[in-house]
Amino acid sequence: MRGNNEEKLDALFRAFAACPTPEPSANFMPTLWQKIEARQTFTFSFRRMANAFAAAAVALTLALSVYMYVPRTNLSLPSQTYLDVLADSHPLVAPELVSPARLEYEYGR
Amino acid sequence: MLVDFEVIKRAQSGDSGAFNEIVLAYRKRILGHISHLIARTEDVEDVAQEVFVRMYYSLDQLRAAEVFEPWLYTLTKNAAYDYLRKQKRRQEFRMSDLSEQQVTMADAVAGGKAEQDDQYHKKIRESVDALLGAVSEADRILLMMKEVEGLSLKDLEKIYKVNENALKVRLFRARQRVLKAFGASDSKQAGKAG
Repeated sequence: MRGNNEEKLDALFRAFAACPTPEPSANFMPTLWQKIEARQTFTFSFRRMANAFAAAAVALTLALSVYMYVPRTNLSLPSQTYLDVLADSHPLVAPELVSPARLEYEYGR
Repeated sequence: MLVDFEVIKRAQSGDSGAFNEIVLAYRKRILGHISHLIARTEDVEDVAQEVFVRMYYSLDQLRAAEVFEPWLYTLTKNAAYDYLRKQKRRQEFRMSDLSEQQVTMADAVAGGKAEQDDQYHKKIRESVDALLGAVSEADRILLMMKEVEGLSLKDLEKIYKVNENALKVRLFRARQRVLKAFGASDSKQAGKAG
């Protein structure tokens, strides 16, 4: 059974559907094209920026690759290990107490 | 179809004259649809232009000219939905928030007492707009397409790409919410009168 409110609501919707459709204004088409062009400009600018960014990223990657692969002429490899260098720069006051070489020697004996 | 498939194909290939032809053919219809979906006449033209801007930029995505109208309707629905989402004016609007004048108008419409003038139409729009505050923007659009635009469930299926039963359930629930809001305000009105 359809209630009274349902009928009222249907009547309201029918009246709403019967309301006149707004007429397009004289500026409808010019404004539409302005909006299209504005968005086009924005899209174009964004695309141009994105392209520039991508090109810069590619160039940077290439530059870094070249830098990494080119052999360095002034590269001097150390002849000593890190521990040797460390031991030389900080000579121990009492090496016989802490030196691993001496301990190994004593253990072997 | 208000334009030939050929015109749509020409517009797809970038012919601005063909695009203009489509807009001129459909703008009145789109304005009508939007005026039912958003109810605020002052913003109808703006939303209609948004629909055509979207159409311009996505026309190349239209695979077959045969589905042009449902596709355009989908663009219209989406633009109206976006507009309603942006309009934060809904804010848990309920029928109880309607003014007495608006409730009286709803009753007057049912009795066929009101005069057919601009003021009357404006009040009808306001009443419907306020009533539809009881449902979400998405349900509002669905309800309007069914109840006011008179679209069939088959048409809605094409637009929403969901099955008929799911649409029926959504429509039923939305209508029940609107009815509840309408009933609540009606009884409030009757209480005041009594």
